Amino acid sequence: MIVRGTVRWVDERLGTNAPLRHLLAKIYPDHWSFYLGEFALYFFMTLVGTGVWLTFAYDPSAQGAYPAVLALTDRAHPIGYVIRQVHHWAAVCFVAAILVHLGRIFFTGAFRRPREINWMIGFTMLALASFTGFTGYSLPNDLLSGTGLRISESIALSLPLIGRWAASVFNGGDSYPGPQLFAHLYTLHVYYLPVILGALIGLHLTILILQKHTQFERDPANVVGRRFWPDYALRTLAVFGATLAGLALLATLVEINPVEAFGPYQPWIAANGSVPDWYTAFLEGALRLGPATEIHIFGHPIPPVFWPGVVLPAIAFVILFLWPFIEKRLTRDDATHDVLDAPTQVPWRMAVGAAFIFEGLLLTLAAADDQTAYTLHLRLETLVWAYRILFLIGPLIVGAIAFAIARERRSRIEESTRYPSEVTTLVRNAEGGFDEEEPQPA
Amino acid sequence: MRVAVFLGLTIVGALGATAAAWVGAPPAVLSGCLVLAFLGLACAAGAAAVGLHAPDDLREPRAPLGPTADSPLPPESVVSRPVFGRLWLGALGAFALAGLVPLISLARKPGRRVITGWRAGVRLVDENNVPVTRDRLVDGSIETVFPQGGVGLAEAAAVLIRVDPELLRVAGEGGAAAGGYVAFSKICTHAGCPVALYRHASHELYCPCHQSRFDVLHGAKNISGPAPRPLPQLALDVDAQGYLIARGDYDAPVGPDDWDRPA
Repeated sequence: MIVRGTVRWVDERLGTNAPLRHLLAKIYPDHWSFYLGEFALYFFMTLVGTGVWLTFAYDPSAQGAYPAVLALTDRAHPIGYVIRQVHHWAAVCFVAAILVHLGRIFFTGAFRRPREINWMIGFTMLALASFTGFTGYSLPNDLLSGTGLRISESIALSLPLIGRWAASVFNGGDSYPGPQLFAHLYTLHVYYLPVILGALIGLHLTILILQKHTQFERDPANVVGRRFWPDYALRTLAVFGATLAGLALLATLVEINPVEAFGPYQPWIAANGSVPDWYTAFLEGALRLGPATEIHIFGHPIPPVFWPGVVLPAIAFVILFLWPFIEKRLTRDDATHDVLDAPTQVPWRMAVGAAFIFEGLLLTLAAADDQTAYTLHLRLETLVWAYRILFLIGPLIVGAIAFAIARERRSRIEESTRYPSEVTTLVRNAEGGFDEEEPQPA
Repeated sequence: MRVAVFLGLTIVGALGATAAAWVGAPPAVLSGCLVLAFLGLACAAGAAAVGLHAPDDLREPRAPLGPTADSPLPPESVVSRPVFGRLWLGALGAFALAGLVPLISLARKPGRRVITGWRAGVRLVDENNVPVTRDRLVDGSIETVFPQGGVGLAEAAAVLIRVDPELLRVAGEGGAAAGGYVAFSKICTHAGCPVALYRHASHELYCPCHQSRFDVLHGAKNISGPAPRPLPQLALDVDAQGYLIARGDYDAPVGPDDWDRPA
């Protein structure tokens, strides 16, 4: 009754009911993989909600940061403890959800015309989410994240021509650690990056509503699915509840980022076996596999971290960011595609995706090469060379295998549609004889 | 009915969480109550959705995108003439250029100060500012040292190692003057991590971040891993009171390289 009254009150002033009815009656195709992006959205909402609380508990100064976060690890104060744990878990899950969602979009060809813009927005959000996560886990100024900041500074410093300028922007001063490093990280983490992410999410969803959803049903003229209200709305509410229940469960079972065990950052101390949050581990792995060679251009050094720390991620980003246009160039297919491909339907796209996944996994694994070598009783140098060789030839092998599997699967599906199964079902009739059962339409 | 049970769980969980937070119960109790609350919500919504038995094959036509008869492109006008178009673009570009200036000015000084604090005659001190005497370390042990008055300076940290002077002599290093003591910058030349580990058996310094190894007997030469050059060395001496002192600053720039580092 109160709801109805309010809706009417708003409608009488803003005329919202007609567009609202249109939105509520919208049809959404239903498939489990279409919920992946929603998980990302709910992780983001959790991050904003818990993050706002955390801003009141934090002190963005080099001296005050660690004690402020340390207070949140005190189990005698469960509110701060749980909020920080849920926040950090939500951050690592947020990046994972975006990545899996992008994988779904990639392998089903959902990025094709007219959805190239939303692919680029989505991919930008992956990069921004990783960067936001990095600025966030650097805020406690503990030993683990402080070492990561120092490495990042060396990557900023490695840029040709503008290295010192970039490092001084990063540090907020002309030396490391700069006096305003934490003020900068804090502003980026709680203001610029989340606001940009929020705006991009709004744009992403507006475009989705304008373009309508893709689907697996082979009916390009219509969207086939469920009505938003109340059917789809209840489903997405269930996803929301499941997301938060999952985060609370993780916070209950596993303590993430125990900064009280790492200790405060001191520039001259480092611990063995340090690895960053999972989504930046591929960069750490790349730094470990990178060559030691320093080339000089007109007498200026190009530090070795430049290649794995800047060039490699930049190449990967540009290729994936522009993928809709690259694929268009290769296939000369610029038609509108509202109907999705099964992942195995386009073997070479499957091959490219598998190769990228392989490289990501390999570099992530390389970030733990010291522990791996220790556990497997290998010489570290042997392992590094094995990883380097795998980095170069692995994608070709994995791509070829994925291509072969996808093509095999596609030809089987084609065969079964061209020659429907000869098997028939016999049903015994009342006279004791057998009748052929009517085949079910596929 | 099932929906009501699940929503009951949500209410119990949320009230439980409130109580747990209020009395300061262990965090696991609080987050456990939240699990219950949100799981109840998820199950209630899911059960309600299934209970609708709504059709999943409703159809909504897809309207074509792009200009149609209903929404044609705006008519040509004076402002869309090519010459105007170029002027608009030019104005926009000029603004963008003007906007770059404040952006660049954000970096106060594009310079870089690396303060090591090491000078000729400066004593070596440990983390607690205690000067290091010549009998401080036994053969094969290490210590993190700073210049006196510069404890905690990020770029100053050095690792002091005592090795058998005979080994240094064989390797052709002049460290014997300080009784087998050698000191190197602790900041890795690769990515600035502290080179914190020492393998006594092979006389190697080892960086825990990216596994670069440095040969202590040969001037901390980079022998493995991604570091591009040796760790800068600090020449040592012993003063009249028996304390270790520096003979000057490091013999090379500290930390990772950059474009403007003098070759």
